[in-house]
Amino acid sequence: MNHLTSETFDDNARAALDDVQLRGALRNATSLFGKRRLAAAAGLQNWEELRNRARSIKDDVLLHLDQYLEQFVANAESRGAKFHWARDASEANAIICKLIQDRGGRKIVKSKSMTTEETHLNVALEAAGMQVVETDLGEYIIQLAEETPSHIIVPAIHKTKRQISELFTSELGIPPTDDVDKLTATARATLRDRFAEADVGISGVNFGIAETGTILIVENEGNIRLTTSLPRTHIAVMGIEKVLPRFADVDVFLKLLPRSGTGQRLTTYQSFITGVKQNAADEGPDELHVVILDNGRSRMLAHPITRQSLACIRCGACLNACPVYQQIGGHAYGSVYPGPIGAVITPQLVGLKKTAQLPYASSLCGACREVCPVKIDIPQLLLHLRSEITEASVNKRRSEQFAFKLWARVMTSNWLYRMSGEVGRLFQRFVVHNGKIGKLEKAGILAPPLAAWTSGRDLRPIEKKTFRERWHSELKRHD
Amino acid sequence: MKITNAREEILHSIRTNLAASVVFDVNYTTDHAAQNEQPVPALKPNPESLVELFAESLEAVDGHCVVVEGHAETVEAIKKIIAGLRSTKLNPRRVAVSDSLEIKDLIESISSAVEEVEMTPIAADLFSFDVGISSVQAGIAETGTLVLEADRERNRLVSLVPPVHIAILDASKIFNTLGETLAALYRDGKVSQAITFISGPSRTADIELTLAIGVHGPQELFVIIRR
Repeated sequence: MNHLTSETFDDNARAALDDVQLRGALRNATSLFGKRRLAAAAGLQNWEELRNRARSIKDDVLLHLDQYLEQFVANAESRGAKFHWARDASEANAIICKLIQDRGGRKIVKSKSMTTEETHLNVALEAAGMQVVETDLGEYIIQLAEETPSHIIVPAIHKTKRQISELFTSELGIPPTDDVDKLTATARATLRDRFAEADVGISGVNFGIAETGTILIVENEGNIRLTTSLPRTHIAVMGIEKVLPRFADVDVFLKLLPRSGTGQRLTTYQSFITGVKQNAADEGPDELHVVILDNGRSRMLAHPITRQSLACIRCGACLNACPVYQQIGGHAYGSVYPGPIGAVITPQLVGLKKTAQLPYASSLCGACREVCPVKIDIPQLLLHLRSEITEASVNKRRSEQFAFKLWARVMTSNWLYRMSGEVGRLFQRFVVHNGKIGKLEKAGILAPPLAAWTSGRDLRPIEKKTFRERWHSELKRHD
Repeated sequence: MKITNAREEILHSIRTNLAASVVFDVNYTTDHAAQNEQPVPALKPNPESLVELFAESLEAVDGHCVVVEGHAETVEAIKKIIAGLRSTKLNPRRVAVSDSLEIKDLIESISSAVEEVEMTPIAADLFSFDVGISSVQAGIAETGTLVLEADRERNRLVSLVPPVHIAILDASKIFNTLGETLAALYRDGKVSQAITFISGPSRTADIELTLAIGVHGPQELFVIIRR
């Protein structure tokens, strides 16, 4: 198992760029989902109004998060749900392990949950001697291959069907096949046995509705329904930010989430679970335990710019729209949350020290902001984090401050500006070859930033005449 | 004050951080709580026929639809569906049904068509059943969605575990929009313990984005709309 880290983002990204198969798969996935999202959004005339409303609801929730959380918990408890609060990942994992051990459980089925990816729950469960199986097809493939998800919605997007066939041949003993239906049927048959024998089902939560104490989970495959219906105990893990005030708010978010994620009008299944069954003979688990996780989220409430990170509904639209993600995929980010939203959430969750390259993994083109169903201004967040990084590094700050002061002085003075052009024109003949400024290897010794600028692109030389000079001479000619 | 309780500590952290944000909030934030109470106006006019719209939406997500009138036609429709599956590898022998009155009425008439009909088998047995038949509590026309409420009927597992699900939907219970449906599900400040929305058969595109039907849930979904 070779897992990348955020600390080496630049190197990870370079390596990913050399992976031809990965880039082909990413191109297919991101362009397909991008097109589907556009078509789905166009199908609703009030798309913009829905986005505004969704953001407005999320803003209201986050500004009164303590109240909505308490209301949600009280209402769910009155229907028989049990709650557990976890300050960080290890506390969440310990709570879950203990819940399972206390019930004598050992076999666990799990449906896709980014939050439990974040806490690395599977590692903790396995260390406690339990058997845990991921049941979402993509997550199952990745678990068999001992890898990590590369996309929020399509976790195994980086693998070809041939690779998956080889994996199933060696792990499950099927004959090699390139028939996707056969591969899917194999996973179905294998996982049915796991569902039948499971003691505990663990799921994530898309929305927790304060007014009714309901958790809502959305999916296409049916594995979430099986996970939350068959085992006697259901454990649901949710971040503190997942609350919605009213049951009616579901309307807005169920219109936005599937359309933004996969371009569907609605995903195949929505499970609304409110507490536990009242009669033993009824269907569904005997117990529902909800683990509420902070893990650095409450810190993000301290400023309106960082707070908007908590509005994210994990649709994956910004990944598909991002020109950086489109080229390098999810693994290079070295974190559970990839893409633009990952580049802003990861540094806030685990600290800037280990993730200082992530806020720079963007050209600030703003495509992520355009597609975000809850209008998170990701470029604004990236700039906010970049300034925090700069503030924190004193040395870099001094030379950078000097450079920008000089630049400001030159740009605001008429004669200095003109002078700089004249000087540049005079000296550029040393670096211009074939009408362009190419790699400045020699300049690297004198002024490293200049060499960095041209290491990957050519620079056009300064024109022989300035715009002003041409303006005056052309005017004269016409007079 | 030392707080050791995780719940209190998290709530305390939320309050402290929100308080620290107040000085910045004036430049960024407006409180929309009151405005959020208003429903987002629906732009869709009421269609001429909710049944037609439902059928159209359901077929768009690979479900099958048939419209019938009365008991006899319902039985015929079920028998026809089962006969149609005979020649496929889904060849149905064992049928699991839910416990609604409407379904109980049908058991006798269907039992001649298959080897075994059982009402709400326990979960462990359900895996060997070929078809699940249930009624559903409502439908959503704009998305072709079935709505199942656990408080009304034990239909959560028969609609999920067998590879074929046949659902019977009362035409008068079809709502136009998702918003109208949610409003109807919210009664006296409460909702049913488990509500399931189903739009078409189970699907995935996790392998090379190739659509595969029937990964964990049913691979065939038939809806009989009863006028």
